[in-house]
Amino acid sequence: MTQPSIILSDVNARQSIFHRRAFLLGAGVSVGIATLAGRLAYLQLAENARYAKLSTSNQFNFRLVPPPRGLITDRNGAILATNRPNFRLLFARQKDQDPEAMISTLAAYVPMDAPRRQRILRDLGNAPRNTPVAIMEDVTWEQFSAVNIRATELPGVTADMGEVRVYPHGGAFAHVIGYVAKVNREDITETGPNAEPIMLHPGFRIGRQGLEKALDLELRGRPGAQKVEVDARGRQVRLAPGGDIPPMPGKEVQLCLDMDLQVRGLELFGEESGAAVLMDCRSGDILAMVSAPSFDANRFVRGLSAAEYRALADYDHKPLFNKALTATYPPGSTFKTLVAVAALEAGFSADMTIYCPGHWNFGGRRWRCDGVHGATNMHDAIATSCDTYFYTISLKLGPDRIANTARRFGLGQAFDIGIPGQKKGLIPDTAYKRRTFPRDPVWHPGETPSFGIGQGYTLVTALQQCVAAARMANGRKALVPRLIRSVGGVPRPEGSDVPDLDFDPAHLALVREAMGSVTTRGTAARTGQIGLGDIRMSGKTGTAQGYNYNGGRGVHGTAGPWHLRDHAWFAGFAPHDTPRYAIAVLVEHGGFGAQAAAPRARDLMRLALLKDADLRPRIERPPPPPVTVAEVETGGPEGPA
Amino acid sequence: MTFPGLSSRAERGLLFDKLSRVDGVFCLALCLIASAGALMMFSIAGSSWEPWAANHITRFGVAFLLMLALAVIDLRVWALIAYPLYALSLILLIAVELIGDVRLGAQRWLDLGPLGSFQPSEIMKLGLVLALGRYYHGLSAEQARMSWHLLVPALMIGAPTLLVAHQPDLGTAVLLALTGLSVVVLAGLSWKIILAGMAFVAAAIPPSYMFVLHEYQRQRVLTFLDPETDPSGSGYHILQSKIALGSGGLLGKGYGLGSQSQLNFLPEKQTDFIFATLAEEFGFVGCAALLLLYVAVIFMSLRTASLAHSHFGRLTAAGVTSTFALYVLINGAMVMGMAPVVGVPMPLLSYGGSVMLTVMIGFGLVQSVRVHRYSEVTASKSSLI
Repeated sequence: MTQPSIILSDVNARQSIFHRRAFLLGAGVSVGIATLAGRLAYLQLAENARYAKLSTSNQFNFRLVPPPRGLITDRNGAILATNRPNFRLLFARQKDQDPEAMISTLAAYVPMDAPRRQRILRDLGNAPRNTPVAIMEDVTWEQFSAVNIRATELPGVTADMGEVRVYPHGGAFAHVIGYVAKVNREDITETGPNAEPIMLHPGFRIGRQGLEKALDLELRGRPGAQKVEVDARGRQVRLAPGGDIPPMPGKEVQLCLDMDLQVRGLELFGEESGAAVLMDCRSGDILAMVSAPSFDANRFVRGLSAAEYRALADYDHKPLFNKALTATYPPGSTFKTLVAVAALEAGFSADMTIYCPGHWNFGGRRWRCDGVHGATNMHDAIATSCDTYFYTISLKLGPDRIANTARRFGLGQAFDIGIPGQKKGLIPDTAYKRRTFPRDPVWHPGETPSFGIGQGYTLVTALQQCVAAARMANGRKALVPRLIRSVGGVPRPEGSDVPDLDFDPAHLALVREAMGSVTTRGTAARTGQIGLGDIRMSGKTGTAQGYNYNGGRGVHGTAGPWHLRDHAWFAGFAPHDTPRYAIAVLVEHGGFGAQAAAPRARDLMRLALLKDADLRPRIERPPPPPVTVAEVETGGPEGPA
Repeated sequence: MTFPGLSSRAERGLLFDKLSRVDGVFCLALCLIASAGALMMFSIAGSSWEPWAANHITRFGVAFLLMLALAVIDLRVWALIAYPLYALSLILLIAVELIGDVRLGAQRWLDLGPLGSFQPSEIMKLGLVLALGRYYHGLSAEQARMSWHLLVPALMIGAPTLLVAHQPDLGTAVLLALTGLSVVVLAGLSWKIILAGMAFVAAAIPPSYMFVLHEYQRQRVLTFLDPETDPSGSGYHILQSKIALGSGGLLGKGYGLGSQSQLNFLPEKQTDFIFATLAEEFGFVGCAALLLLYVAVIFMSLRTASLAHSHFGRLTAAGVTSTFALYVLINGAMVMGMAPVVGVPMPLLSYGGSVMLTVMIGFGLVQSVRVHRYSEVTASKSSLI
């Protein structure tokens, strides 16, 4: 390689050029660094507030906190539905994670059987990705901590503490209050309250039945927010101090029900199926509304297994069914009190007597009566439940007048007590016949006698029966029942704040007197005695044919297969002289009203009377000693004989 | 030449004499920068030496010793290996093109089996500076200003730049080109050519943007121009980096308290964006201090270049300095949202072995120039031996 010879001057030239250029390089670098510093100053000093805000919004997220669901209490403040702490395991499926493997790992720490595994997998399949799903509720503290410690082995599984609904009285209030359950996909709507994000929270429960469903929005409350620090993937790093918005608990709901009466009411039914409603006949407050048999609502909160659910759903006593509101039955002989009022309204005299030979011939048929009552006036006809009397008089009245009276007593209508799904029942009349049977639109006279004894097309609910008894007992007001006393401290309108009944009070008094005789010397003389001082219960028994004895295979009384037996009714009130409480008891396929329904009505009524402080002096007062001839002669009990 | 054997007392004395001429303040500045890097890595790993901080310090320690070892090597040896190193680098770049590993969509790495893998483009940065210095050492001022001799440096710079750009690694390619050009300019290129070249580049930007750049590179440029258009996608890096910087304020959020980096909002927080991490936790004061350290390193290095008696020493030391300065400026501009996101780390501060090694070997050369500043390098090969 030949090198050009570089003379000294050239070397100096190269050097001086380099020095100039190096100075320029230094200057350029200085400018560059100064630019960076200026930019830094702009970002960090001038724009600091803006970027600090962005950084904070990166760092912190708000997590929804489900609000505590509102309490439900009875009229005296006893807790009927509350919330208790609950340790639960949540699982948020992450990308490329096999849930089955997770379940297998988890099985080492908590019990895990095959149906549970399947249910977890199903729940996970239904849930959107990355949404935590509750895979196990109510784990013990030991299991809770075991899972917490092994969090690294169980990616996606978190253990947290939430609240779970609890119904301390088990089945007694199950039909009225209903229960809450997990949110289904169908529950979530596009708009409205069910579109809110809290619906997706694994701890959130939605009202499924009864009042929990009807008052769901009031009981829900407003979710709070918890400030949490999150990383770039949105995973919670830690709770951030301050900045939390506390959840607003749901409104407290106070019911008119009385806890003792309700619990006792369910107990009275034992193995039997039926319903009982007890009302304050001055205010319209429902003190007890029982449907038997019942079920434990707490199990529904936790989630029933398929087998458990089938056992409840397939049982012929229908425990899931609210028989006080949603089941209708013929009223049977209890209806006669209303027919009597209709007769008085129509101008018939209560003293008019009808001869009962034990049967009644009409339309070429012999209509049976339960006994041979002889010459019977209205009072005795009610007391002894004489069919002949009411066959005769209802035929004279015709269906429309009876129906009109029955409706004014509250039959054939649904009441706005806050629980959906009430049945209206049926009070037939000529218009109904025209409407419903186009092929046979005429009301035949032969249909009236059945109507007059509460059979035929007539269908009523236990609540309606109780309302009718309450209106009868009240005598003045067209009472409506009230179940919910207040929501969030705001009282609901009282049931007595209604128009007057347009019946002649004297007519009602006559029928009430007759109902008093039912329990003293009539059909319920042996089973309707209340036995509390001088207080007496009045009422009317009913034995309603569910089936036609001739055409079907129905059985009178308690003989024969259960599902073909008569329904037993008792509707009444107490005390007889100054009515305070009205009651209606239905024992489904219970046989005779006097045997199956009246004693239960008596026992429940007795408790209601015992709990009433106003009645205590009457109950505790010693009964007047029997008046003897000697006393009459000496002029006083103290005097020596 | 013969390497000084350490057995001889005189030669040992020579070695210590040479080491004593290494710039102590310069070394201190390097150590401070590397320590700042380790400090930040410790912080973002959640107060842990693993996985980055300990590694970073070890690497710096090894690279620092290597720098000292290179500092005592005679400038003539550097001149001797200049062309072979350049040739080797070029061969390796071609090898990468043919058999290299594809990582993250780019063919940059050569697998060396047990020694791990490395990027030949890193060696090329040094090889190019050395080769250019060596070449210009033999040119007169007039030849360096404007002559047909300039075709050689043009090829020397063009070949590796194109190879690296094809990998594709736009950041390194730009860095290589600018490094080479800075040597050419320092050597005394005519202003006419410089201005003409600038005009040509300005004119060439639109067509090259349209036809040469890869889709992802184009995306990066677009994102740089308007990062707000896609804050969660390609604009994410710049946006999060600016948030980290801006939220640091004057004094920073405090050590270990940078939410942007601690919670992983900041991508590449221990490598390319470590400056943002530091800015977040130590604020403007911390950033300014760090920039001052870089300025100190650059100017001490540039002064070393100016003091050298040999043209080879001057040019190579200045070339290394400009490479270093380019790293700092490009990374700084990128982190602050003034340049598109290109894979250029902050030298010594960022985690990563290749760049650390390149920079420290470069500084070994600079210190060698300082140690041997009074010695002449004869252009002829024979005089070296």
